[in-house]
Amino acid sequence: MDILQAENLYSYYGKSPVIQDISFKVKEGQFLSVLGRNGVGKTTLLKTIMGLTDHATGGLLFNGKDILTAKTHERAKLGIGYIPQGREIIANLTVRENIVMGTYARKDGKRDIPEYLFDMFPILREFLNRRGGDLSGGQQQQLAIARALAMDPKLLILDEPTEGIQPNVVKQIEEAIVHLNKERGLGVILVEQNIPFARASSDRFIVMDKGRVAMTGGKDDLTDEVVNEHLTF
Amino acid sequence: MDVLFNQLFSGLSMASILLIIALGLAIIYGSMGVINLAHGELVMLGAYATWALQHFFGFSILLALPFVFVAVGAVGWLIEKIIVQRLYSRPLDTILATWGIGIILQQIVRIAIGPESRFVSGPEILRGNIQIGNVYMSNYRIFVIVLSIAILGATWAIMTRTEFGTKLRAVIQNRSISECYGIESERIYSLTFAYGAGLAGVAGALITPLFSTIPTMGTGLVVNAFLVVIVGGLGSLFGTALAAVLIGQATALFSIVMNDTLGRIAVLICIILLIRLRPRGLFPGKTRN
Repeated sequence: MDILQAENLYSYYGKSPVIQDISFKVKEGQFLSVLGRNGVGKTTLLKTIMGLTDHATGGLLFNGKDILTAKTHERAKLGIGYIPQGREIIANLTVRENIVMGTYARKDGKRDIPEYLFDMFPILREFLNRRGGDLSGGQQQQLAIARALAMDPKLLILDEPTEGIQPNVVKQIEEAIVHLNKERGLGVILVEQNIPFARASSDRFIVMDKGRVAMTGGKDDLTDEVVNEHLTF
Repeated sequence: MDVLFNQLFSGLSMASILLIIALGLAIIYGSMGVINLAHGELVMLGAYATWALQHFFGFSILLALPFVFVAVGAVGWLIEKIIVQRLYSRPLDTILATWGIGIILQQIVRIAIGPESRFVSGPEILRGNIQIGNVYMSNYRIFVIVLSIAILGATWAIMTRTEFGTKLRAVIQNRSISECYGIESERIYSLTFAYGAGLAGVAGALITPLFSTIPTMGTGLVVNAFLVVIVGGLGSLFGTALAAVLIGQATALFSIVMNDTLGRIAVLICIILLIRLRPRGLFPGKTRN
């Protein structure tokens, strides 16, 4: 069963198409990495999935249902957990309020914070009553992941979750993502510059160039030649 | 000395009403960046709604208050849904649009009810005064002060202690990410606008026994309320409250030593000086970008 499927997807800012003719599939529990140099449209692709661009055409199916005309909050309620670039946690809300914010996308109306989040990121329990803005970058990233998980998502989409984060936390975050995918069976779409991590963790990958899919394949296809051609600067 | 205390007390009661008006304005501006120039007319609608409830159904002001809150809130909700919501990407146009709405509301009332002043009698149970020494405090004015403090407290609780408040604060800071977590920002905006409008209605109801109910009554009030919002600093309920008291009292005090017009000028000069020294008001919100 495909949890997310894009067919000939185009996405626009104003009149200029930033995403052009992109097609891909993510099966339930699958790990898809989206790779490419800066400015090729990776972030825009994720924003298109969330309905945050001005306009999009083509097909975008979630669990077989077309969501291209659905509003952002409706897509969230289907179970897409979006962890944006730069984390975008709400600085003036406490850590607790930030995590509870994730539960607003739940359909059952529950507002409890799942206990396993604190096993995964113990620092969050300690800082529950601090303001989100007072946390370090790495802690904010953990908070952003916790917020997305609080909605009990079916699919997690992450935009460069390890960018600009201290190395010891990077490892913790990477382990968490792999754990969520392998142990909890969560589908993952990951935009990443860190090729070794993408190679080690993902089932499939797509490489983007100038808003299009330059190539796609399984993890064994991500050879050094591919990396040299599409991903090095 | 007694004159002074009497003036201070009446200043405090006017400040309370000013606070309720300014709270509505500040909430609407602080959350969606809309300068609602129709706010004074919403106060006026509240006053006329109170008059109508009393005139046609015999409601006392106290009984009318919840109805007026809901009715004027509903008017605000409609204004947001029909007009303001389409203009969020054009903040300058919202000023013109709400100004136009204000004029329309004022003229509708003038045509439908007439330009002459309408009388609303104060509530029976709050008739009379409390006298301390030679200072007379009318029960009604005491009630207005207490109610405005209660409204301030309730607003604070809504903003910080309820799920709606958390959602609103999230939307204010980052609208798109809030939507990514299932928050319907349009609904939050509509309800916030309605709440601010409802407060204006309550202020209009409370002011009826103290102020003449005429179609243009909102204009002067909203100017004062804007001054309160500017002096208080955006994003701070406490700042708004303090500024309301300061401006209410300063107006009252200057009116004793000078006449009303000179007192008004003196207050405005003080505000200009204050804004020169603290451009973001007394207590600007902590982190606004």
